[in-house]
Amino acid sequence: MQTRPLGDTGHDSTVMTFGAIALNWLEQEGANQLVEHVLDYGVNHFDVAPEYGDAELKLGPKLRQHREEIFLGCKTQERTYEGAWRKLERSLNRLGVDAIDLYQVHGLEYDEELDAITGDDGALAAFREAKEQGLIDHIGLTSHGDPGLILDALDRVDDLESLMFPLNPVVAGKDDDEYDYEAVLARADEKNVGTLGIKAFAGGSWPPTDELPESDRPFANWYRPVTAPDEVRERFDFAAAQGLTSVVSAGDPKLVTMILEAAADYDGMDEAAQRSLIERVRHDDSPVPEQLHH
Amino acid sequence: MDVPQTVTVALDDRPVAGRRCLEAGAGAGNATAGLLANGAARVYAVTNDRDHARTTRRRVGRDDGDGSDGDDGVDESDGDRLAVLEADLRAVPLPDDSVGVITAHGLCNVLDPASLSAVAEEFSRVASPGAQLVVDDYDPLPDGAAIGGLFAVENAASELARGRPALTFYPAAFLRRFFAGHGWEFERERTLLEPVPWTESHVSAHGDRAVSMAKEHPGEPCDALAATARRLATDIGSESVGRMYGLAFRFPE
Ligand SMILES: NC(=O)c1ccc[n+]([C@@H]2O[C@H](COP(=O)([O-])OP(=O)(O)OC[C@H]3O[C@@H](n4cnc5c(N)ncnc54)[C@H](OP(=O)(O)O)[C@@H]3O)[C@@H](O)[C@H]2O)c1
Ligand SMILES: C[S@@+](CC[C@H](N)C(=O)[O-])C[C@H]1O[C@@H](n2cnc3c(N)ncnc32)[C@H](O)[C@@H]1O
Repeated sequence: MQTRPLGDTGHDSTVMTFGAIALNWLEQEGANQLVEHVLDYGVNHFDVAPEYGDAELKLGPKLRQHREEIFLGCKTQERTYEGAWRKLERSLNRLGVDAIDLYQVHGLEYDEELDAITGDDGALAAFREAKEQGLIDHIGLTSHGDPGLILDALDRVDDLESLMFPLNPVVAGKDDDEYDYEAVLARADEKNVGTLGIKAFAGGSWPPTDELPESDRPFANWYRPVTAPDEVRERFDFAAAQGLTSVVSAGDPKLVTMILEAAADYDGMDEAAQRSLIERVRHDDSPVPEQLHH
Repeated sequence: MDVPQTVTVALDDRPVAGRRCLEAGAGAGNATAGLLANGAARVYAVTNDRDHARTTRRRVGRDDGDGSDGDDGVDESDGDRLAVLEADLRAVPLPDDSVGVITAHGLCNVLDPASLSAVAEEFSRVASPGAQLVVDDYDPLPDGAAIGGLFAVENAASELARGRPALTFYPAAFLRRFFAGHGWEFERERTLLEPVPWTESHVSAHGDRAVSMAKEHPGEPCDALAATARRLATDIGSESVGRMYGLAFRFPE
């Protein structure tokens, strides 16, 4: 599988990152098998978080067995110094490892949170101490929030080495600033900060729960994912072709093999085909019913 | 509104800023939005279809100018830059030598050869020296494209009902020579989409059009065409096939 430099970290990440949230939906034995399966494809970057149910615990055994082959990303939603230290120690315990390669501020959403993490008593102070102590190697940030906020974070946090944010053809087809994750990608590239793409496989939202109760959804994703192999492949190719360092696999284990196959076969996507995909999904939720032209 | 990538790419190497533009065949307002986003001094968006004129005002007028919703039927409610004109492109209601950019985005395929010739005459008349012409359209579909069957039925219904085809896919090389013959210097060709995504909404809209034209001409062959159009539209669902190209020309000084 292709690898790309993750910003200035010195690590070359595979073009697919394994979203270990998928392990949460499996028993331990199945989780072990899935990790072996992912490693068989050569994937070398894993992403997990304490919020993903049991995923940290279920990743633990195989992570420890293959520690050298895996660049491990983990996260915390804590915004304070104390909270971040506590969560980091908890994650190290649950994962059963001495150090985390990439520790990320998880799910930044509001300006006040950016103020909080960068303050004297903020989470980043804990991150930096942990880095000095060798408990983490690199600092990152994740957000599905406002691109403007992510850009601010990029400006204000000097030692940020990676960003994780949404990128897919639906988002790429929208011009408003609130969807301008392409600007985030461009600025991150300028600053040589690594970029990890999420929501690459999002097809749309689920129907309202009175039409389809949550317990009847056929996939464990927050959104309705694309599920046909060709569509999964196109979505992967699109995200990888935008120039992200790596594309994070979707949260449902049923989709993982299709994504691995797409990632293993990835060899670029030409621009006319990228536009074709943007146009197709734009029409899928077009406000104009009888739009005859592209 | 979001400017489609096809329009963005078709215009991104063209000098639009500060120019007066003719958007020939306003349709959904996509190219109109692109011209305005690129800083056109003024856009005359011309269509002979009242619904399309309304759609263009509603979708594009809303984002431009003074924030009025543009749906009040007054042509120039959108600040100073957009005028939606309901008129026939075979007799463009603009003076000679009056525009610096002409866009025909997805227009030629809805013009039969006779109309295409008449429209091209008008483009040459209204273009000022140094004007740009942007022609974006579809190559003929490859053999075996399922949607080709639906377009064939649509054309058959149109021939019976109106005596001309509904759709003609002119090859890029054909339009290139054709506009050269009308005095335009060819500048470049781009691939805008490959494959072309004929989505469910496109397919069902074409199916519906075939059915409604078939109904204009009562009788057995047209009943059969309508039924075939319905069946094909359902069977096809959606299909990604073919190529959309973008040509650019310049009118000599
Ligand atoms: N607190 C939890 O228990 C928790 C959290 C996330 C996901 N999940 C579960 O994991 C499943 C798979 O997630 P997925 O398919 O959405 O994502 P995915 O792309 O398949 O990957 C999982 C990502 O979903 C994101 N996510 C979490 N909350 C979200 C929200 N409210 N809106 C949008 N995205 C959100 C998470 O990102 P971030 O980690 O950056 O938030 C996570 O990385 C979901 O069905 C959900 O049940 C549970
Ligand atoms: C498919 S649409 C073009 C899409 C449009 N350019 C856009 O960017 O959204 C074709 C348009 O050309 C118009 N048209 C076709 N023949 C015409 C004619 N002879 N005179 C004026 N408008 C015409 C149709 O009514 C329709 O609005």
